[in-house]
Amino acid sequence: MSVFAEVVGQDAVTELLASVARRARENGDGLTHAWLFAGPPGCGRSIAARAFAAALHCRSPDGVGCGRCHECRTVLAGSHPDVVVVRPAGLSLGVAEARELVARAALAPTVSRWQVVIVEDADRLTEGAANVLLKAIEEPAPRTIWLLCVPSPHDLVPTIRSRCRLVTLRTPNPHAIAQVLIERDGIEPELATAAARAASGHIGRARRLATDAQARARRRAVLDAAAQLAGAPTLAESLRIAAELVDAATAEAGEETETRDAAEAAALREALGVEAGSGGRRPRGSAGAFRDLEARQKSRATRTQRDALDRILGDLAAFFRDVLVLQLSGTEDAVANVDVLSAIRASAGRSTRTDTLRRLEAIMECRAAIEANANPLIAFEAMAIALSDSGGRTSG
Amino acid sequence: MKFQVDQDAFADAVAWAARTLPTRPSIPVLGGILLTADDDGLVISSFDYEVSASATTAATIARGGRGLVSGRLLAEITRSLPSQPVDVELDGTRVVLRCGSTRFTLPTLPIEEYPTLPALPPRAGTVAADSFATAANQVAIAAGRDDTLPILTGVRIELDGEIVTLAATDRYRLAVRELRWQPARPDITAAALVPARTLGEVARSLTGGAQVEIFLSFDQPGGETLIGFAGRGTSGERQTTTRLIDGEYVKYRSLFPSETAARAHVATTPFIEAVKRVSLVAPRNVPVRLTFHRDQLLLEAGSGEEAQASEWLDATFDGEEELTIAFNPSYLLDGLGAVDSEIVHLDFTSPNKPAILRGGKDADQPMDDYRYLLMPVRLGG
Ligand SMILES: [Zn+2]
Repeated sequence: MSVFAEVVGQDAVTELLASVARRARENGDGLTHAWLFAGPPGCGRSIAARAFAAALHCRSPDGVGCGRCHECRTVLAGSHPDVVVVRPAGLSLGVAEARELVARAALAPTVSRWQVVIVEDADRLTEGAANVLLKAIEEPAPRTIWLLCVPSPHDLVPTIRSRCRLVTLRTPNPHAIAQVLIERDGIEPELATAAARAASGHIGRARRLATDAQARARRRAVLDAAAQLAGAPTLAESLRIAAELVDAATAEAGEETETRDAAEAAALREALGVEAGSGGRRPRGSAGAFRDLEARQKSRATRTQRDALDRILGDLAAFFRDVLVLQLSGTEDAVANVDVLSAIRASAGRSTRTDTLRRLEAIMECRAAIEANANPLIAFEAMAIALSDSGGRTSG
Repeated sequence: MKFQVDQDAFADAVAWAARTLPTRPSIPVLGGILLTADDDGLVISSFDYEVSASATTAATIARGGRGLVSGRLLAEITRSLPSQPVDVELDGTRVVLRCGSTRFTLPTLPIEEYPTLPALPPRAGTVAADSFATAANQVAIAAGRDDTLPILTGVRIELDGEIVTLAATDRYRLAVRELRWQPARPDITAAALVPARTLGEVARSLTGGAQVEIFLSFDQPGGETLIGFAGRGTSGERQTTTRLIDGEYVKYRSLFPSETAARAHVATTPFIEAVKRVSLVAPRNVPVRLTFHRDQLLLEAGSGEEAQASEWLDATFDGEEELTIAFNPSYLLDGLGAVDSEIVHLDFTSPNKPAILRGGKDADQPMDDYRYLLMPVRLGG
């Protein structure tokens, strides 16, 4: 299967990338040195970047990005010597990491004609780190190709942006996502369609909803909370709902962190040969590697918690977007959260468009506050109060 | 895969390959050491994306094959085994080691995820192992350490007929070493930019034999990508490849001044000790100021009016008049240490132009094989 099959619902982009890779293979050079993969979260921009890297390295005589040759496979497994993938684990990507990356990017390729450097979430570069990268992108090593992934081109300083060729990915449509869930993950069509619709174009989220009953339950709880808040609860009830939502995010992040941390520690033990059939033997120098891992995991835990809060805000917003859809069009075809249709209908009947817009705005404000490091509970309480305001008064 | 190997040779080869294992493998397989048993014997390899290392060791191969196991664990185990033959066998997803009454089982890592090891590029020539190690160290000291200026973190190796030239500069100093070698082709011309820290270490690790072979990926579209070195370790053949830094190197030969206004020579060891003493009392990297008189040299720390420390030293100077010039003390010490001779010769143009340090067997004869060019610190008012 072609490496581009992983990129869902982006036909124009995959055609472009495949043809660039084909030409690069034929001509040997003339390849643009810096690319910007821009698209909303979950649209598959890093998957597209990785597929492009595989296509550039592919050795198959039958076409670029075969997905079967050793080059394609090692690129996708993350072990190709001429592909560097940087994924900021914490909230930002700092100067030290950027310097390391620039040193690596200065090297000539090992086995391929090019070296590809992929920076996922390049919007998380600190200002200092962006400056370090700018130098390397301004004067790139002759055979190094940079692929920077961002939600929007404007998430990157103009000095870097202006040196990149832009690849814009759109939000994949639910049909394309459902198709992939059915064909590749073997999900029941009905479940796949519902999950794809509920995920509003976020592929990873759709897959999670389709495969993980707990994730479905969590989403449902958030939508129920949205319905309750829209039903004019008392102040005490609103505050309780806010606290429950934050607790749920903490619990979810905790579980996720625990599972992932344990898996990583196990992988590191395996790589360093700790406790591997030799009675708890720890090779020299391994303690430092474990300390590093723990530090990385700690910084990531903050990010995981924030992501969980963000998912909740996304689900709340999806509920009120559906309410707005009903209020604007009156048709139910475009509703994403069909499983709570009656609650959406009820809320649409009880409020005006202006109310709904105000509520969506309150959710966006909460998201901005969380992004700016606000205390999650206080931000959620403020939002819950704004959401439960049934709009008897005029709205701002 | 099944083979028998001597413990000493096995442990030595594994330790050599394990040197380049990443301390924090980004994916588990990179922490692995690859064992390859075939008709040529046993090859033990590691790869961290920048440097690959392979050690060949004589072994009795009962069954060819490959196995990928944790490098650190294998290094620890082989080191601790008694000095007896070791039997190694791949058994499903485990590698079993037996040595005397000891038995270890190591889990294997997924070999299909292991990156392709770069092949050794074509042979370029042969150089004496000891002089190569010395040359690498003499030059690597002048390489830059700022990763945001990657080109300057390399040592430039130029192959030109029977001469190999090594050069490095961080813009404040430049070290150039020339040595003779036996090229594979008499008309060879090629160049490579090798990460400095890797080069020094590789050159040192190949001094077990008399010769080091150099390999270079000529004829690559876009230029050379890979340099390889092969030599003897303490127990068998060792070969290693290193990725090159990509890009144009500084035109360093034009940095040498075309004329010399004054020359001096000083006994190296007392000079080094005096610089250390004088700069010790001054804050870090405060310039050390040298004033050359006909038979003496005055060293002072501090560039201002009042020096914080001073010392007189015997020296020979042939300039028309006294010359005062100031240097960063650690850069000066690097150069004095690297000339590797009893007497150091210094050539000057003016206090604001670079000075050149060379070694010499005696007072009259500077040697040209190593030159260390050092930018002075401008003497402020
Ligand atoms: Zn392929």
